[in-house]
Amino acid sequence: MTDPVMRLKDLTLSLDGNAGMVEILKGISFDVMQGETLGLTGASGSGKSSLLMVMGGLERASSGLISALGHDLTPMGEDALARFRRDNMGVVFQSFHLIPTMTALENVALPLELAGEADAFGRAATELEAVGLGDRGNHYPSQMSGGEQQRVALARAVVGRPKILLADEPTGNLDAATGELVMDLLFDLRDRTGATLILVTHASELAARCDRVIQLRDGLVLSDNVAVAAQ
Amino acid sequence: MSLAWRTARRELRGGLRGFWVFLACLALGVAAIAAIGTVRGAIEAGLTEQGAVILGGDVEVQLTYRYAEPNERAFFESMGEVSELVDFRSMLASGDERALTQVKGADEFYPLYGTVKLTPEIPLADALAGRDGIPGAAIDPVLMARLGLDVGDRVQLGVSEFVVMAALDRMPDSSGGGFSLGPPTLVSSAALATSGLLIPGTLFETEYRIKTPEAFDLELAKFQAITVLDGTGYRWRDRRNGAPGISRFVERLSAFLVLVGLTGLAVGGVGVSAAVRAYLASKTEVIATLRSLGASGGLVFRVYLLQVGVLAALGIVMGLFLGGILPLAFGPILEASLPVPVELAIRVRPLAEAALYGSLAAALFTLWPLGQSEHIRAATLFRDAQSGVKGWPRPIWIIVCAAILAALIGAAAWLSGLVMLTLWAAGGIMAAFVLLVLAALGIQVLARWLARHLRGFRTLRFALGAVGGPSREAQAVVVSLGLGLSVLAAVGQIDWNLRNAIAGDLPDIAPSYFVVDVQPDQLEPLVVSLEARDSVSKIESAPMLRGVITQINGQRALDVAGDHWVVRGDRGITYADAVPAGTTITAGQWWGEGYEGEPQISFAAEEAAELGLRLGDSLTVNILGRDITATITSFREVNFSTGGLGFVVSMNAAALRGAPHTHIATIYAEEADEPAILRDMAKAYPNITAIRVRDAINRVSEVLEGIAAAITYGALATLVTGGIVLIGTAAAGEKARVYEGAVLKTLGASRAAVLSNFALRSVLLGLTAGGIALLAGVAAGWGVMVFVMETEFQVAIGSAATIITGGILATLLTGLMFAWRPLATRPARVLRARE
Repeated sequence: MTDPVMRLKDLTLSLDGNAGMVEILKGISFDVMQGETLGLTGASGSGKSSLLMVMGGLERASSGLISALGHDLTPMGEDALARFRRDNMGVVFQSFHLIPTMTALENVALPLELAGEADAFGRAATELEAVGLGDRGNHYPSQMSGGEQQRVALARAVVGRPKILLADEPTGNLDAATGELVMDLLFDLRDRTGATLILVTHASELAARCDRVIQLRDGLVLSDNVAVAAQ
Repeated sequence: MSLAWRTARRELRGGLRGFWVFLACLALGVAAIAAIGTVRGAIEAGLTEQGAVILGGDVEVQLTYRYAEPNERAFFESMGEVSELVDFRSMLASGDERALTQVKGADEFYPLYGTVKLTPEIPLADALAGRDGIPGAAIDPVLMARLGLDVGDRVQLGVSEFVVMAALDRMPDSSGGGFSLGPPTLVSSAALATSGLLIPGTLFETEYRIKTPEAFDLELAKFQAITVLDGTGYRWRDRRNGAPGISRFVERLSAFLVLVGLTGLAVGGVGVSAAVRAYLASKTEVIATLRSLGASGGLVFRVYLLQVGVLAALGIVMGLFLGGILPLAFGPILEASLPVPVELAIRVRPLAEAALYGSLAAALFTLWPLGQSEHIRAATLFRDAQSGVKGWPRPIWIIVCAAILAALIGAAAWLSGLVMLTLWAAGGIMAAFVLLVLAALGIQVLARWLARHLRGFRTLRFALGAVGGPSREAQAVVVSLGLGLSVLAAVGQIDWNLRNAIAGDLPDIAPSYFVVDVQPDQLEPLVVSLEARDSVSKIESAPMLRGVITQINGQRALDVAGDHWVVRGDRGITYADAVPAGTTITAGQWWGEGYEGEPQISFAAEEAAELGLRLGDSLTVNILGRDITATITSFREVNFSTGGLGFVVSMNAAALRGAPHTHIATIYAEEADEPAILRDMAKAYPNITAIRVRDAINRVSEVLEGIAAAITYGALATLVTGGIVLIGTAAAGEKARVYEGAVLKTLGASRAAVLSNFALRSVLLGLTAGGIALLAGVAAGWGVMVFVMETEFQVAIGSAATIITGGILATLLTGLMFAWRPLATRPARVLRARE
């Protein structure tokens, strides 16, 4: 853990809601170190998922600075952000977000294809194998259980060997046993790839597996506790 | 109020949002059929109410080749005031210029009804009287322009001179006569007497128009006419059906257009069905909740049947309103563009007919998904609540759907009166439907396979994957667009081939001129003078009389042969001694050369088979008022498609030689020399009439073009419905595309990549729909040309390219219409909303 892979400085986010502009993030600053496993926690509405979206370039910050791997994300356009994600990031969502018209194998191969990889399908098949779904490659998401879909989503997130792995409550839609299986897989994959993992979670036992936990409240950092992992 | 109705009403509180495709599809289909019926009703009413004006009298008796005998004239006068009109084709000459014209020789009583419109506006009597002792003529303005004529110029008809007194803008009875090759020239019949045009054997008709007293029994008079005129080949028409040709044409064309309208309703049915399916899918949770609270499958079915029924009724009412109102709104345009009087009004029958079709189509296309809704169980609440309706409905609903389909086809057959055409059309629509569904499934399988095996073509592979995926988009797009395009493709192929056969191929094989009214003593010098020209390659001639087949084996021909064209009116009849060169006898034996025994007939083989005639049958033919009964002793091959000489009936020479007659000749010549041939011929023989085949072909082409245009408009209405379904499908898929776009962008796809993915899949679907439509259109065109028209078929490349391009453009444009949101929306918003 030497250099920061991400730097956030005075980050704010305001969104236009039904009741007018709502301030979601009110000035967030912290660094994320390379190889770190960072848990983002907080009550519902605290802004943790929104923060993760901004860190992934999926949402544009209203003000402040954010850089990843030495690149300033703030001035990047939508396509430049997409390219940056393609080359450097993997994202896992609570609701899996697989493309329903693509098979499991095609979903996993997608980021590699977008990156122009020659052996996209070979590598995707290996990755599916790694999450225990080697025999389900030709199945569509609608033909799979929630746990299986999330395993496909995990394979898709790591297949491009991203340097940063973002996960937004990846077990939120799963039962306890399946959730645990998925988390084991997530941490295994992180260990295998050496990626920096930034994880949004409600679950304290999951947070306990992180090197560092940042707790948010009302759009602000309430605590930044490296020691949680040691407890 | 029943529980089902109460529940349905509560459900409908949500409003009609999401139902615009349902309503538009149904309303448009019903509106098209209602509008066609309303226009048809308006024309029929116009023809009935203006029957006497169109006909030129309350009664018209037409005689061929002759004037009425005194007893016949007395019979006409017993009915009321009589006007006599002589009608024939001739050449109007002005200096060296000559043009074909339809001469109308009127007496002083013409017209009995309506007025003749002339420019300058002078009384008709003055116009026909002429000036300076030269009789006058009123000439169609088109013909005047063609010959460069002005009022006051001199023209010739036969050997008589006339002075042009006015342009003939409109004759009140001009729309009843049907198809005519030459524009009219109106002169006084007295002035024609010395023209040399009405000598024995000349082809002319006399029309006796009679203005009857108000309370006159037309039916009784028609019956009495049989006693006086039967067997003379007369034709009776009265004001009750003043223009039977037009009535029949309007009836056929509108019945055909209704069938095209039904295709539109079938296309709309795809949209209706998809809308109901989507609605039920969105209500899966509600239905599951109802089931969990104890509602039976039957109750759920009734709840949604009532809702769909209310919406269908609304769509049908909207369609009836549009279909009834639109023709009225466009009344002035319709009246100006149709050659017949129209009486526009809202009529119950066409609206009721359209409502019936709409109701049956709505029931047919909604019952299936409604039946499927019975399968939704309470357990659906706990898993997969968005899965929608699936599986087969109960057998009872399948039987009901089949019964509705049969009722729909039965109603169309009964109401259109075209049973075979309806059955063919229904079969065609169903075959196209099945073909399109199968093609859509096939293309999905192929796309899936290609998506798995194509490596390296990223965008194409994504698009193929989407087309081959589990969504129903491919089917909805291919079927809805494909059906409309199929109709358009079929019309395009048939129209092009017909016109190509007539205007393209025919002039190469057909003669340059048909020359009629050649007197027996003129034939030889005419042939000699023509043969002296290098440009003339062939001359054929035959004696020609006109006669009516009045009896077959002693029975009234019309009773035996029904409506067959051969017995419907007077036909050209020839005679020959030896077998003419090039004649192929298919059965029986030709009378020997110099045969002078009992009259014999050689009959056209194909027409004989259609009429059920056999060798040895006897035919009575009325020629110039005289009945000749002859035995059929042989059948001949007669090819009418080359434009050469062809006679259904040929008799032995001795039977007809003595009757006054003329000759008909065909001249095959180089196109460049055609004007000179006409000029020289008309100068030497002013009484003969030459019909330029190219002009006739152009005239036929124009008529065909008009019919094809009417059908194309009908097909376009179908295509508009298809377009609505397409837009509806694209709109329904927008949410999925927004989501897909967000995921793709999250994984690193640029907006250009997302857009090209969406565009390419639209192109693939459009290409499939266009390709299948083209196949269907080519198959239909081939069938019609080869089996019905009995001619060759070629694929019309222009029409084919239009269909394919149209299919691609339609899907691409609708796809792009709904692409901006997936491109513009930030991924985080979409993905968070789904969490």
